[in-house]
Amino acid sequence: MRTGVSIQRILLPPLVVALCVVLTSHSVVHASRNNPSQSLAIVVNRSNPIDNLSFAELRKIFMGDRSHWSNGHRIAVVMLNYGQPERRTVLRLIYRMDEDGYQDHVLRGMFRGDVFVAPKTLASPEILRKFVFNAPGAIGYLRASDVDDSVKVVRIEGLSPEEEDYRLPIDERSPK
Amino acid sequence: MPPERTSAARRTDGLVRSILSRHIPSILLLSLLLAEAGVGAFIIRDLNKSSESVQKMYNGSVQGLLKFGDLQYHAQETRRSTLYALTTNDGNLQVEYAEQSRQADRLVTEGIKDYLAGARTPRETEAGRHLAADWQSYLQVRDDVLGRILESSVKEAVQIDLTRGVPQFELVREDLSEIKKIYDEQASLHLATVRELSGASRIRLLTALGLGLLLGSVAIWGFQKLRVRSAVQLAKLQMDFVASVSHELRTPIAAILSAAENLRDGLVTRRDDIIQQSTVITDQAAQLANLVEQVLSFASTAESSQLHPLGNLRIDEVIDDALRSTASLLREAGFTLERQIQSGLPPVVGEFSVLSHCLQNLIANAVKYSSGNRWVRVSAGMDERSHQIQIRVQDHGIGIHDSDLPHIFEPFYRSPEVVTARIKGTGLGLSIAKRSAEAFGGTLAVSSQVGVGTVFTISLPAVGQESAPVQFSEASKIGDRV
Repeated sequence: MRTGVSIQRILLPPLVVALCVVLTSHSVVHASRNNPSQSLAIVVNRSNPIDNLSFAELRKIFMGDRSHWSNGHRIAVVMLNYGQPERRTVLRLIYRMDEDGYQDHVLRGMFRGDVFVAPKTLASPEILRKFVFNAPGAIGYLRASDVDDSVKVVRIEGLSPEEEDYRLPIDERSPK
Repeated sequence: MPPERTSAARRTDGLVRSILSRHIPSILLLSLLLAEAGVGAFIIRDLNKSSESVQKMYNGSVQGLLKFGDLQYHAQETRRSTLYALTTNDGNLQVEYAEQSRQADRLVTEGIKDYLAGARTPRETEAGRHLAADWQSYLQVRDDVLGRILESSVKEAVQIDLTRGVPQFELVREDLSEIKKIYDEQASLHLATVRELSGASRIRLLTALGLGLLLGSVAIWGFQKLRVRSAVQLAKLQMDFVASVSHELRTPIAAILSAAENLRDGLVTRRDDIIQQSTVITDQAAQLANLVEQVLSFASTAESSQLHPLGNLRIDEVIDDALRSTASLLREAGFTLERQIQSGLPPVVGEFSVLSHCLQNLIANAVKYSSGNRWVRVSAGMDERSHQIQIRVQDHGIGIHDSDLPHIFEPFYRSPEVVTARIKGTGLGLSIAKRSAEAFGGTLAVSSQVGVGTVFTISLPAVGQESAPVQFSEASKIGDRV
């Protein structure tokens, strides 16, 4: 009996340590990949040659500072309706404005001629996806889990939405 | 007597001629029926072909035209939805129109594939390929236009549509028109086939009706002619009969009157003369009675009103009775008689006196229609094949013409030669003899050759054979004169 107790005392601590190591390493691996439903994908028409954009270029496009793609098609920015988390994320991270600021920016741009065409506002991610599919010059955004083969996801700063350090996580918080 | 083979051949010819002459109306009606059935079969065949053509027309042209209508509609819808997108700035609506356009173009593409898959002629295939190519070209323009609209480049979209979209869609329309033209031509072809078949059916139907009317009229005319001829023949026979009977009646009556007047007027006084005149009266009266008896016998036979009890008869006894009764006749006529009866013959069923009178009639006929060779043979034997007893009365007399053979058993019939030769008779004897034989389940047959002789054969079933008659017969009393 005494021999059995001593074996337990010897083997138990290493086993507990090994188990902790395994569990820790597993959680680390998962933490390196983003959840697709929590990232915002920037999508363009499949005929668009663009594969990657810097964050600065992306901001220029959305702000209306750039009007045409390299293939000659006019850039058509599409936005989702007011109040949706994806829109809030774009306003906060790309436009760096709130809703009022965005509206003001568009109106002023149109008035001054800086913005040739105001971004189109669409009712749902599905309609947005169809819009991008039909318009060669369209660019928009979707929750990464809403993306399918009909559109093309553009890397931002060389990163795709599921990768760590991707710069467009969706802000799920309700507006104040 | 003539060989049986020649008489059998002649009998067959006569029979065929008789059947043809009597049944021409029936043959005509049968021909009419067959002709109508034949024409009906042709008409049914034409109707089936028409039905197939109509079915083909529906499956090919009409259904094709329906599909073509769908194709044309969806092509228009593709273009219409694209142009609708031009009318609004609302991105949501523009996407909706774009989707409608794409749904319609998918249906058109599928329709073109179906058409090509079902194309049966090189012309159809060519038209289908043209349409497919032009449609794909138009879709490229359409996509460009849609893209410009969604990108808010409306002016460019309109420009592209006007410069490329409209002409390209016009090509599509021309292709569709070509396909419609092919469908129309096919439909016209099928329709022409149906019309042709309908025309042929109409002509056949009219021909059949005309033929039916003609043959029916001829058949009715034939029936009427037969009836009239039968009626005329019957009237002639009756007149001949009356004339014959009158003659037969007058002759003995004249003899009786003459003998009676001689006795009354005292012209004969001697005993021998009185006996002779009296004998004339009794003989002629007996002949008169016989004649009346025969006429009554035939009448009662025709009415079939009397039934006679039948019994088993020995043929040799019947023949001997008939020969006894006709012995004086044969002797007076100077005839040589041969009697040949097979021994051990089984009995037959019948009525003794009727069968005896039947034989007497045939023997009397042999005497009446004799020629220079005065010979008669009465024979009886068993026919092993039919298991019937056959009684033959054979002579070397004047014979019977082929044309008369089918009629000699008809009541009152007398051949023209016999009438011309003034051979006495009523035309009832053979008719009565035949009925008598048939009454006992047998037959009476004849074979003859002119100038050679005649054989009458009575065939009767032997007792114990299957064809034995019933216990009572409709035969009546038979007279002994022919």
